[in-house]
Amino acid sequence: MSPLSIDQIFFIYFFLSLSLLSIGVIASRNIIHSAFFLLIFLLHVAAVFLFLNAEFLMAIQIIVYVGGVLALFIFAIMVMNIKDELKHRRFVKFAGSGFLVSLLFFAVFYVFLRNIRLETSKPLTSDTNMLGSLLYSYFLLPFEILSLVLLIALIAGILIAKKNPKEDR
Amino acid sequence: MINQYLLLSATLFTIGLIGFVLRRDLIVMLMCLEIMFNAVNISFASFSYYGGNYTGQIFVLFSIAVAAAEAAVGLAIVLSLVRVTGINHSDELRNLRG
Repeated sequence: MSPLSIDQIFFIYFFLSLSLLSIGVIASRNIIHSAFFLLIFLLHVAAVFLFLNAEFLMAIQIIVYVGGVLALFIFAIMVMNIKDELKHRRFVKFAGSGFLVSLLFFAVFYVFLRNIRLETSKPLTSDTNMLGSLLYSYFLLPFEILSLVLLIALIAGILIAKKNPKEDR
Repeated sequence: MINQYLLLSATLFTIGLIGFVLRRDLIVMLMCLEIMFNAVNISFASFSYYGGNYTGQIFVLFSIAVAAAEAAVGLAIVLSLVRVTGINHSDELRNLRG
């Protein structure tokens, strides 16, 4: 067995810790503990992006997910003020069959991905300039549509979560 | 190599799927959805890296923005559901008009 390089050691660490953190999101009984497991999970995913020479994605991952989405989750948990969560059971009634079907799904994935290889020229370097110019030239229309999607999501979030004035009476 | 990144992506996607199927709390189900989004983003970025093409990274950008929009709308729906019915478990919701 050949000795592992430093990259492979780090990759094995990130593989194990990402798996354990996502299992922690599922298995923890307190919702706020799940949110904090998700926080560390997202930071580790940002580190995996750094492995793949995607520095801009790492920054966006930390800014958008950790700064935006996770803050939204924690705000929602605090607004809903769930107190009696510790007494309830965590899983649905048919959890065993759901688990088996998901394992079957993973087995199919593993059979497909076991021997895959990509005939590549050379791995790409980190180039945020190239990414920006591509985003504003070739992908300009999807970018604009994306801004519209975000605007609509903002308005819909406010409209749905707003208190219904008829209920207060 | 690319297959270890794809294996990481498949593992995280499966764990997110297991959590989405098994858990009862609606907020934890949304968190598992975020785990699945991240798994697919890792696979996009690894294809971009090993294929020598920047389009995969731009797809990850779009996917992150759509995930943010999805989280906002989903949490708003869960919030109004809890406010109207007082239920935050997925298997206790039986009637359509709360």
